[in-house]
Amino acid sequence: MLFFRSEERVREWCAARGYRMRPLVTMDQLWTLATTWYSTRLQENSRRPQPDEMRSIFTRLGLGGDFWDPQSDSFG
Amino acid sequence: MSLDTQTKLAIYRHFAETGQRPSVEVVAERVRSDVSSVREAFLTLRAQRVLVLEPDGVSIRMAPPFSGVATQHVVIVDDTKYFANCAWDSFGIPAALHRPAQIHSRCAQSGEQLNLEIGLEGPPSCSWLFHCLVPAARWWDDIVFT
Repeated sequence: MLFFRSEERVREWCAARGYRMRPLVTMDQLWTLATTWYSTRLQENSRRPQPDEMRSIFTRLGLGGDFWDPQSDSFG
Repeated sequence: MSLDTQTKLAIYRHFAETGQRPSVEVVAERVRSDVSSVREAFLTLRAQRVLVLEPDGVSIRMAPPFSGVATQHVVIVDDTKYFANCAWDSFGIPAALHRPAQIHSRCAQSGEQLNLEIGLEGPPSCSWLFHCLVPAARWWDDIVFT
């Protein structure tokens, strides 16, 4: 999970390593993910999002499909 | 409150206060329990994916979003320096602490420095991107690589 200056830099990084390029996430989307995951982390009743919640969070941000599905078996 | 929950809170509060991982002895002191019981709690928290431990089974590698070891993702909150496990977690530290932060990282391809001021409402307008190589269903197969 890395930062990149641009889409072109992501493409170069993936090509150099033979990796498939994955969906890109903006800084605003990343902030929403971070606050959703971690804003209660220092509290007694905090817990990690469950798969259904994860799917819902990703979908609300426009991050859909098998790649973001925590229970997908499409990536052998 | 269960010892597992006390242990989790003690670990996170230590990270929040110091930016450093606590030893099992320090956590035991904070929760007023014995080291053996706290070591068992560490293993329970690892099974719950709250902690990632080093191969010794007792040193904390990750208490997401905090990293127990130095990384390329540095977060400054007030005067405390933290290391994040990844780009996502570098945003997660100010989110967890509910404090403004400075993020210092770099482009994984070019090495260009990223210096970002995060406010309570999030980052300023910014064209940098986040890329995750591993599908969500596989994140915990090897969370350090993810």
